[in-house]
Amino acid sequence: MDPEGLEDALDLSRDRSQNHGVYIYQPAKPGKATGERPSKRRKVSSTDHRGQKSDVKCFVPLLNGEENAESSQLRHETYKQLWSAQEHKIQAILEDVDAGVLADVLSFVRENSPETCNGCIPTGLVTVGSNVSSLSRLLSRLNDQLLASGEGGVVVLESGDAPNLKSSLKNIIRAAITNTEGNDGYQKFLTDRAGPRLLGYDLDLLNDYVQRKGTKKLVLALRDSEAFDPGLLMDLLSLFNSWLDRIPFTVLLGISTSVELFEGRLPRACVSLLQGKHFEVQEAGNCVDRIYESLQTDPQGKLWLGRNVTSTLLEKTHDYFQTPEAFSRMVKYAYMSHFFANPLAVLLGNPAPATLSHPRLCEAIRNLPSFRMFCEDLLEAGSPDDVRNLLENDEYLLQEALSHVSAGQQSMQQIFQAVLVIHACIQHTQQGSKKSNVSDLSVRALSGELNDSQVADDMLATVRTFDSEKLGLLLESLPKTLPADLALEDIRTDFATLVDANAEFEPLRSEYNINSSVVKTTVVQQRILLSKGKANLSEQDIEYTRIVDRLVGALQEYLTETLIQPQELFMHEAFLFDLRNPLKENFTPRPRFALERALANPFDYLISSTDASGARISAKQPATAILYQLYLESGALVNIHDLWQAFYGVFEGDQGNTCDDRMIMSLFYSALSDLKSFGMVKNSRKKTDHLAKSAWMGL
Amino acid sequence: MKRKLSNSGLENDHPEVSTPKRPRIALSKTNGALNGHAPSLPPTNGDATYELPEAPRGQSTPKKANGVAATPLKESGLKTPTHKSKARSLFATPTKPKSATAATPSRIKNADRSAKKKSARVLFEQDEDAAWDGSEQLAEEILQDDEPETDKAVEHVAESVEAEDADKSKEKEAKAPKRRAGRPKGARNKRSPTPEGELPAHERYFFQNRAGTAKTSNTTLNKVSLLTHEEYFEKLGQYVDPCKDEKEYLLSLHHRSFPQWYFEFEEGFNICLFGYGSKRRLVQQFADWLYHKRSVSGSAPSIVIVNGYTPGISIRSIFAMIATAILGEDLPSKLGAQPTEVLELLQSALKSRPATEEPITVLINSVDAPPLRRAANQALLARLGATPRIRLLLTADSPNFATMWDISLRDQLNLVFHDSTTFTPFAVETNVVEEVHTLLGRKGQRVGGKDGVGFVLKSLPENARNLYRLLLTEVITVMDDGHMSDYEGAGESGGRGNEEYGIEFRLLYQKATEEFIASSEMMFRTLLKEFHDHQMITSRMDPSGMEILGVPLSRDEMEGVLEDLVLG
Repeated sequence: MDPEGLEDALDLSRDRSQNHGVYIYQPAKPGKATGERPSKRRKVSSTDHRGQKSDVKCFVPLLNGEENAESSQLRHETYKQLWSAQEHKIQAILEDVDAGVLADVLSFVRENSPETCNGCIPTGLVTVGSNVSSLSRLLSRLNDQLLASGEGGVVVLESGDAPNLKSSLKNIIRAAITNTEGNDGYQKFLTDRAGPRLLGYDLDLLNDYVQRKGTKKLVLALRDSEAFDPGLLMDLLSLFNSWLDRIPFTVLLGISTSVELFEGRLPRACVSLLQGKHFEVQEAGNCVDRIYESLQTDPQGKLWLGRNVTSTLLEKTHDYFQTPEAFSRMVKYAYMSHFFANPLAVLLGNPAPATLSHPRLCEAIRNLPSFRMFCEDLLEAGSPDDVRNLLENDEYLLQEALSHVSAGQQSMQQIFQAVLVIHACIQHTQQGSKKSNVSDLSVRALSGELNDSQVADDMLATVRTFDSEKLGLLLESLPKTLPADLALEDIRTDFATLVDANAEFEPLRSEYNINSSVVKTTVVQQRILLSKGKANLSEQDIEYTRIVDRLVGALQEYLTETLIQPQELFMHEAFLFDLRNPLKENFTPRPRFALERALANPFDYLISSTDASGARISAKQPATAILYQLYLESGALVNIHDLWQAFYGVFEGDQGNTCDDRMIMSLFYSALSDLKSFGMVKNSRKKTDHLAKSAWMGL
Repeated sequence: MKRKLSNSGLENDHPEVSTPKRPRIALSKTNGALNGHAPSLPPTNGDATYELPEAPRGQSTPKKANGVAATPLKESGLKTPTHKSKARSLFATPTKPKSATAATPSRIKNADRSAKKKSARVLFEQDEDAAWDGSEQLAEEILQDDEPETDKAVEHVAESVEAEDADKSKEKEAKAPKRRAGRPKGARNKRSPTPEGELPAHERYFFQNRAGTAKTSNTTLNKVSLLTHEEYFEKLGQYVDPCKDEKEYLLSLHHRSFPQWYFEFEEGFNICLFGYGSKRRLVQQFADWLYHKRSVSGSAPSIVIVNGYTPGISIRSIFAMIATAILGEDLPSKLGAQPTEVLELLQSALKSRPATEEPITVLINSVDAPPLRRAANQALLARLGATPRIRLLLTADSPNFATMWDISLRDQLNLVFHDSTTFTPFAVETNVVEEVHTLLGRKGQRVGGKDGVGFVLKSLPENARNLYRLLLTEVITVMDDGHMSDYEGAGESGGRGNEEYGIEFRLLYQKATEEFIASSEMMFRTLLKEFHDHQMITSRMDPSGMEILGVPLSRDEMEGVLEDLVLG
C-alpha cells in the first residue's frame, strides 16, 4: 500500500488543518491534488465554459448531462420567477396575519406610560402558542415603526443572553444603543463622555442615551420569558421599576404556555410591579392553511403540489409545532426540487422551440407513464396515426406536449376553482365548528376523490333544503369566475325575479325542505305506517324548487366535469410535483435509523461488486459494522473479553492463520470507540470488564 | 475442512430426520394458538422454516429419556424470563466453531468436546431463557456432529417413551410429541434472537434489554495486553481496507450532490449532513469544489472551516474567525469577550457589506461533538445560522444529534438534512485509544505496564526505588483492607485501575522519613516528581482535600513490580 493512499485512508493527509479548531479555507496546492480531484476539476471547468453567467451554474444539466445550457438556465429562471411571486404572496399573508396584533401592540405601547399604569411598568403579555416565530416578526416590525417615528426602539432579550443580572443589563444597554447608533456608536458612547467612565452594565448609560436621543418609548421584549430564571427576572423588573422615572421602559413578554402559568412562576412582589394587557397571536395552523390556499388556488398558477406532498406538508404542520415560515420553506424546497431535478420543468418556462429540440427530452417524454396512458387512450379512440406520429416525430411530440401542459395547467386551475366553490358553499351548509378547510378539500381534490366524497354529497343535499333567504346568500357568495356554461347568471336572475315577485310571502321553501313534507301516520292491521308525503306546495314554492334543482344540477355537472384526477392528465409530471421523498427525507431525517442501517447492513451503502453474500458477518465488512452486529446479538451486559474473542473469531475464520491479532485489536479499538461515541455502550460497574448496552435498535 | 465434514454429515442426516418433523410444526403451532400467545408473536419467517428440518429430532430425546419434567414445555408461551439462565456467555459460544477451523487439531477437538458438553447441558437444562438467546439452537447445531452414532439408540428410547404416551388424551397427545422434541420448535423459531421488524419500538426495547440472559462469563482482559497509541496507529497504518473501493464510490456519489447543496445554499437553506462515518474529507472536498467553482468566475468565496471536535474550541473563537473572514484588515483590535458581542459585530459588518459580495460559507465538522454540544453554544450557532448571507453546513456524527435543537433553534437554523454515510473511520475526531481505555475502566492506567515501570525504576537511584517499594506496599495493604471490608469493590478493582486505592500524601511522607528514604519534604517531592514524569504515580484530591497518591497499575502488576524490587 502506498503511503499516499495510506494517509488518505486514515484521513491524515491534511495534518495541517485537522487540529485547528477553526481556520479560513485555503485551497490545496495544485501539486498535492489527491486521486479524484483532477477529474472533478475537469467537470467543473467544462460547465463553466458553457454558461458565462454565474447563476447558470446553479443547475446541472440533466438527462444524463446532455441537457443543453439554455434549458437548465431556463429552468432556473422559471423557478426564480415563479417562486418570487409566491414568496410575495406568503409575505403579504404573514403581514396581514400580524397586522391586527401589531396595531394593538403599537397603540398599547404608544398610549401607556408609567403614569397611566399607577407607577407600574407597562407590560404587554403576548401569548404566541405554537407560533413561535410570529413574535420575532412582530418585534422587528414594531422596532421599524418606532424607529421610523423616532419614538424609541425595541430591545429583544433572549434567555440565552441573560445568564446573570450584570450581563443581561449589559446586553440590554448595548442592544438599545447599537439599535440606533450601530456598533461603533456604542463604543464611542462608552468612551466619549465626561466624567468617570461607567461600566457596561450601569443603567446610567442608558439614562444618558435616552436623554440625548429624547427617546419616549424603550420597549424591552423578552422573547422566551418562561425560559428566564425567575429570580433574575424579578431583579431585572424591580430595577426597571426604580428607573422608571428616568427611562421610559415598556416590557413585552412573549409567553408560549399561558398567562396564568407564567404569573404563577413569578413572586407576588414581581407581579405587582407590572400592569398591562394581554395580546394573543393567531395560531400557526390558520396561517399555514391560508398560505397553502393562496399558493394552490392561484388562477395564474403554473406548478401545483400533488396529494402526497400536500399531505406530508400538512401532516407535519399538524403533528409538530411548525412555524408558517418553516412551512413555506418546505413548499419552497418542493418547488426547488421540481425545477432542479425534473428536466420537464423546462416546459413551464415558455421555451423557444429551438431550446427544446433535443432528442433526449423527447425520449424522456416518451418514457412518462402519462404518455403511455395518453397513447393507450388514443388507440382506444381509434387514432393510431396520432400515436405513430407521437412516437416518431419529435416536433409533433413537443408541440403536443406543450399544448397539453397548458391545457393541463388550465384543468388544474379549474380543479382548485371548484375547490373554492365547494369551500364557499360549505361555509353555508356546514354548521358547527368543524368545517372542512381548503387544504383538506384540496387533498381530496388532488387525489381525485372530492367529487364522490361525502363532503360534496352532503353539501349538495343541504343546498337542496335551503329556503330562499339562505339560497340568496349562497348565490351571492359563489365566485363570479365560474365558467359561463354553468348558467349561473340565469339562475341568479330567475331567482331574483321570483323572490322579488313573492316578497310578501314567507321565505320560499323547496320540496326537499323538511317543513315542506308531512308525515302521515296510518294504522294498518295494528301496525303504524309512517309515510312521508309532500305537503301541498304553493305555486311559488314549486317554481322555487325548480330553481333549486337547476342550481344543484348545474353544480353537480360542474363538479363532475372539473374534478378529474390530476394524475390522469397527460404531461402532469411537468406541472404537478408529487414526490413525497425529497421533502420527507430532507426535513424529517432519521439519523438514528440511517446509522443503524449502515452498521447492521453495511452493504446497503457499500455496493460491493465482489461479495454479494452480505448477510452474514464477515471480515469484509467495516470493523464497526462487525462489532455492532455482535453487539446486537448480545444481552444487556457484555463481557469485553468475549466480545473481543468473537470479533477476533470473525477475522480468524476469514483469514486463517495469517491474520495479525494486534491489527485486529486496533480495528477492535476503533470500532469500540465508535460505538462509545454513538452512545451505545458504556462501562458497566456491575462486573469487571463488562459493557452495558445503552441503546436498542429500531427506535 | 472440519466445517465441511460436519456439513456433509448434516446433509446425510436430513432424509431420515426431516420426515417425522413435519407434523410437529403444525402441532407446535396449534399449541401456541391454544396458549393464546400466537397472535402476539411475529409470524414464522423464512429463516425459521429453513431451520426446522435442520434440527434432527434425535438429539433432543436424551432430555426426555432423562426424565426431565415436562412443565417448562407446557408453559411454552411467552413467560417472563427467569434469572436461572443456563446460558453461558453469549460470545464465547459463537466463536468456538469458527476459531476451531484455524486452530491446531487438538485444540479443535478440545473445543469441540467442550462445546458439545455445553450444548448437551443447554439442551438438558433448557428453559425459557435459552429460547431467548438462541443458545439452544446453537447447541443443537454443535451436537449434530455426533448425530450418526447416537441417533439410532436415542431413537429407540424415544419410541418407547412415545408408546407410553400413546393412551393419553388427544390434547395431551398434541403436546407429547412436542415434549419429545425437547421444546416447541415453532415457538422457538418465532423468537429468534433478532426479532424481525414487526415489533413496536417499546417491545424491542424490552426484547433487547430482557433480564434473562444477563449472565456472562467471568473472563477478564487481564491477560490481553492492550494497545498503546503508537502501536494502534502503526497497526492501523498497515491495515488494508477491504471496502476501499466501495467507500470511494460512496464518496463519489456524495460528490454528485455538491451542485444541489450549492443551490440550497443559494436559496437560503443551511445544510446538515448526518450518517455513519467521518465527514471531514467530504466537507473538505466540498470546500475545494466551492472554491474552484467560484474562483473561476472571479470571486473566491470566504470559507471558514470549524472542527467541532477540537477540545477547548470556543464559540467565540469561531465567531472571531468569521469576523476576520468578513472584515479582513479592518478587524477591530478588540472584539469583546462575550460571544454575543462578536456575533453582533459580525452581523453588523455583514449588513454593511455591499450585497454583491460573496456570502460567507461556514463549514462545521462534528457540530455535535462534546465541545460544541452545550445548549448555549447551539443557541448561538443557530443565531449565526439565521444571519442572512451566512451559509452554514453542519455535520453530525451521533445518532441523536437532532435533540440538540428545539423548535425555535430548528427554525432559526433552517436546515436541510442529507444522509451522507461515508464509512470513513473517525480517525481525527476521537482519541480512540483514550476512549477505549476509559470505556474499559483503564483510563490513566499506565499502558506500558509492569515492564515499563520496572525499566524506569532500574534507572532511578536507590532512594527512589525504596520510596516506590514503600508506596506499592502501602497501596497493596490498603487494597487488601478493601477486600476485607467490601467484597464488591474488590471485585471491581481487579479490572479497573487502582485509582480508588491510594495513600495519603502526609502519611507516605511520614513513613518515608521513618525509613530514612527522604529527610525533607523538598526531597520527598523531588522523588515523587520523578515518578510523576514517568506516569508511575497518580495523585488526586479526596473530598476532604487531602492529596491521595496511587499507582496506575493493576494489582497483579503491582505485586510483580514489588517482587522485582524486593528481590532485585
